Amino acid sequence: MQTVFFYVFAALTVLCALMVVANPFSRNPVTSAMFLVLTIVSLAGLFVQLHAFFLAAVQVLVYAGAVMVLFLFVIMLLDLKEEERRKVRKFAVIAGGLAVAIIAVLFCTAIGQTTAGIGVQPILEGGTAALGELLFKHYLLPFEILSVLLLVAMVGVILLSKKDLK
Amino acid sequence: MMNWFNNLSPTSQFVLFSALKVVPAVLVMLFIVAYIVLVERRLCAFIQDRVGPNRAGPLGLLQPMADAVKAFLKEDFMPAHVRPVYYWLAPALVMIPSLLTLAVIPFGSQLGSQKMVVADLNVGILYTFGIVSLGVYGIVLAGYAANSKYPFMGGIRASAQMISYEVAMGLSVIPLFLLVGDLNLSTVIGDQTHGLFSWLVFRQPLAFAIFLCAAFAETNRTPFDLPEAEQELAGGYNVEYSSMKFALFFMGEYANMIAASAMMVTLFFGGWTLPFFGLDQPAATVLGGLVHIGIFLAKLLVLLVLFIWVRWMWPRFRYDQLMNLGWKGLVPLALANIVVTATWLWLKS
Amino acid sequence: MNAFSYLDLLNLLGPETILVLTSLAALFVDLGALRDQPLPRRWLAGGGVTALGGLLAILWLTNVTAQANLAHGILVVDPLTQLVKVVLVAMLLFTVALSLRAEFTEHVGEYFCLLLLATVGMMFLVSSEDVLTIFVALELTSLSLYILTAFNKRSLVSAEAGLKYFLFGGVAAAFTLFGLSLIYGLAGSTNLREIATNLAGKGTDPLLMVALIMVVMGFGFKIAAVPFHLWAPDAYQGAPTPAAALIASGSKVASFFVFAKVMALGFAGIEGNGAWRQFAPGWVPVLATLAVASMLLGNLAAIAQSSVKRLLAYSAIAHAGYMLLGLLAMSNPHRRADGMAALVYYITTYGLTTIGAFGVVQIVERTGGDSLENFAGFSRRAPLVAVCLMVFMLSLAGIPPLAGFFGKFYLFTAAAGAEPGNLGLLWLVIFAIAMSAVSLYYYLQVLKRAFVAAPAEAAIAPVVSFMERLTLALLALAVVVLGALPAWLLGPIADAIKAAGF
Repeated sequence: MQTVFFYVFAALTVLCALMVVANPFSRNPVTSAMFLVLTIVSLAGLFVQLHAFFLAAVQVLVYAGAVMVLFLFVIMLLDLKEEERRKVRKFAVIAGGLAVAIIAVLFCTAIGQTTAGIGVQPILEGGTAALGELLFKHYLLPFEILSVLLLVAMVGVILLSKKDLK
Repeated sequence: MMNWFNNLSPTSQFVLFSALKVVPAVLVMLFIVAYIVLVERRLCAFIQDRVGPNRAGPLGLLQPMADAVKAFLKEDFMPAHVRPVYYWLAPALVMIPSLLTLAVIPFGSQLGSQKMVVADLNVGILYTFGIVSLGVYGIVLAGYAANSKYPFMGGIRASAQMISYEVAMGLSVIPLFLLVGDLNLSTVIGDQTHGLFSWLVFRQPLAFAIFLCAAFAETNRTPFDLPEAEQELAGGYNVEYSSMKFALFFMGEYANMIAASAMMVTLFFGGWTLPFFGLDQPAATVLGGLVHIGIFLAKLLVLLVLFIWVRWMWPRFRYDQLMNLGWKGLVPLALANIVVTATWLWLKS
Repeated sequence: MNAFSYLDLLNLLGPETILVLTSLAALFVDLGALRDQPLPRRWLAGGGVTALGGLLAILWLTNVTAQANLAHGILVVDPLTQLVKVVLVAMLLFTVALSLRAEFTEHVGEYFCLLLLATVGMMFLVSSEDVLTIFVALELTSLSLYILTAFNKRSLVSAEAGLKYFLFGGVAAAFTLFGLSLIYGLAGSTNLREIATNLAGKGTDPLLMVALIMVVMGFGFKIAAVPFHLWAPDAYQGAPTPAAALIASGSKVASFFVFAKVMALGFAGIEGNGAWRQFAPGWVPVLATLAVASMLLGNLAAIAQSSVKRLLAYSAIAHAGYMLLGLLAMSNPHRRADGMAALVYYITTYGLTTIGAFGVVQIVERTGGDSLENFAGFSRRAPLVAVCLMVFMLSLAGIPPLAGFFGKFYLFTAAAGAEPGNLGLLWLVIFAIAMSAVSLYYYLQVLKRAFVAAPAEAAIAPVVSFMERLTLALLALAVVVLGALPAWLLGPIADAIKAAGF
């Protein structure tokens, strides 16, 4: 049962992610964004299977609920039109296809031949208390670095998007 | 009968019980949706010194049926310029999240051995916020699908407004969980069973005020009903809809109100408990269980009436006022509340 | 999960904390107090605040001796990391000194804020042996640098460069993260040394190799090694010149240092063999390939450039190839200290030289542009700056007795001695020497324009501020002195490496 759910969600994730970038039916940016939402939600499903309930809830709350709404917001405000289909050059298709095929073969053989990893016992059972303990004690430093990173992002966005008055 | 039941595997039993809880809960919710509309219309008429709908049945009690029949019989007209897929999707997306939210709300103590909550998640509140945050898609997509000016502006307004107030809403409840120490909603209720003043509304009045404001904004109710401001947007995101699809938007708004009220009852007003007559302990008998459900529904109704009352008493905010209130008023207040509560708890420990 | 006291943490992170606070101060001073002041004054004030913070950080770094390894390598502070951090902050200070007369933006506070935060990212990058922190710090550095690249909002080239840098960086970061998560799955740890221990029995597992290459991709992007170099010429050319100087110096120092740590510590045991005809899979042959490709493409492409900034970019790619030799020298655990010493010496002197070169380019740009023609007769228009340019270019080419020569010398001997007895990497060293001979051509091209060619009729003498003169003279002096007396830098480096127990 677990494995079935895993494959369902994993397939859903990959499929939706593919539809974000290469949707054969529509070149509409809003559709892409909606498929990204689906991707995020199916990822949350995978998290649930790992018993990372907190992560799953936050994934939906932050990415699907807030970030993607802002994406939609921007797409609508900019009034992006449907993208035109580009003319595909034969050479590009062959080269791209070859590269993808090689990487796919490489990956499949690598995964096929590899022995199982060390494996890690899950430290967390989805509990917020344990997670908070880890975040604010063991991983305090990366956590704080991330907050500086967000500051950089904020300064950068305001700087790059604001119109210079002069 | 019992034999047959006991032979089922635990999984099947779980599925069966869940279904037995889900179906009545949804039915009750839809019933409340239907009648809260009537209540709203009668109440607003009363406030405006009118009579209101009183023709269909005694006291107008059959009015919801009449409305439903009307919605079904109207032509389901689809304008030529809309984007079909989203046009169909949007009404459903408005309705679904509010129904899903109910899953983690404990709407009673227990009937027999069954806890009266569909899913007793240990991250209950986060689940609720996650689902509530998805509610905005319905409105945004409705605005986008309509492919015309006013609905579009309604959709844009809705997304900006709901995201802004979601922040305030999420921040406002953090002090509660600092006090309770758990995200599970049953635990939150259990923490409010030490007398009337253990209700979190009395321990965290500021949090409640912020949450209430945010809830008005999240449900697009007056004074924050800018996405559907009739005078400016000719009705907002649902202008291009008619018939049953319009009815879904209409019901969605009330379902959202119910979901928000249910959350407030659980978080701030002790859920299904009353601090008198030992009603704050899980019920031992079936009758006691039913009384608990009744208490929950009564509290819910009081809050719903509050929603309606505010709508007919208050004027609408201007858009910049709305944003100012959210970002410069509620969010800093909520943050300050978190810091103060945390410091207080730290000093106390 | 061992806990540590927050006070300890603050004590160990003193310099970083100072720089973060300085960045906020720069922002507040500029936006709060100086908004209506004339632009030069704002540049001066912002630069002053930043320099003050940088100097404080250096003081702290040189006077507070600390050695600690917190929470399984999430924060590693030892004399070696402190030394590299001093180098990083020094490079920041030089960059700031060169920006004081800049005219490309009015957002002075944000500019200094981002410079500082980029440096903070690099410092965190240096002092970590945990892949999680390394990745986060890498992102902090990269994000700040993307924004700095696109900082000139009046120029389309700058915006394009920023976008290119960002897109390449995003993809590279995704690959790194994928690789790191595969490694976490295989090794069950995020600590570099534990990864090496846990991977010891795995040998050359195919999935591990895939993960290894993915990790190399991310770092290869940061150090601009071929074939992950595509962003570099555009970014160097499009970015405001001082920002380009920081990308070419500080970012490179930090990335190479952490790259070396990841490879030598995290993948110890799966080096493989890159010796001629003794090929064995592992990270040595991968890096050797990158080194050869970088040296070849960097040096050959640089010859064809007419923009000096692009020329410097391709030269940076070639130098990344040389520096990879230092990493290869570290593949032998017994010779690791030698390789590290050579690498740190090289990146330090290279960084100083590049900042100087960009400083000169910035001055030339004021007379019209950065193409080779603009350098014509430069020695007659600004003799002192031209002499500095000569020092920098010759050092980059590796002419004795300048620092660049000794850097290459130590690097090449370390690489050749990595496998005592069979001189395994000698082929690579010979190739590198041949390629540095090629590089002499394009460096001399620049010098020929500056010293031999007659100035154009309409050529004007560039305005050079006192601060720029001072900075360039200091940098040139450092390049000469460190070349003449390499022990002045090598001694402390060797001591630090010994003390760090690397």
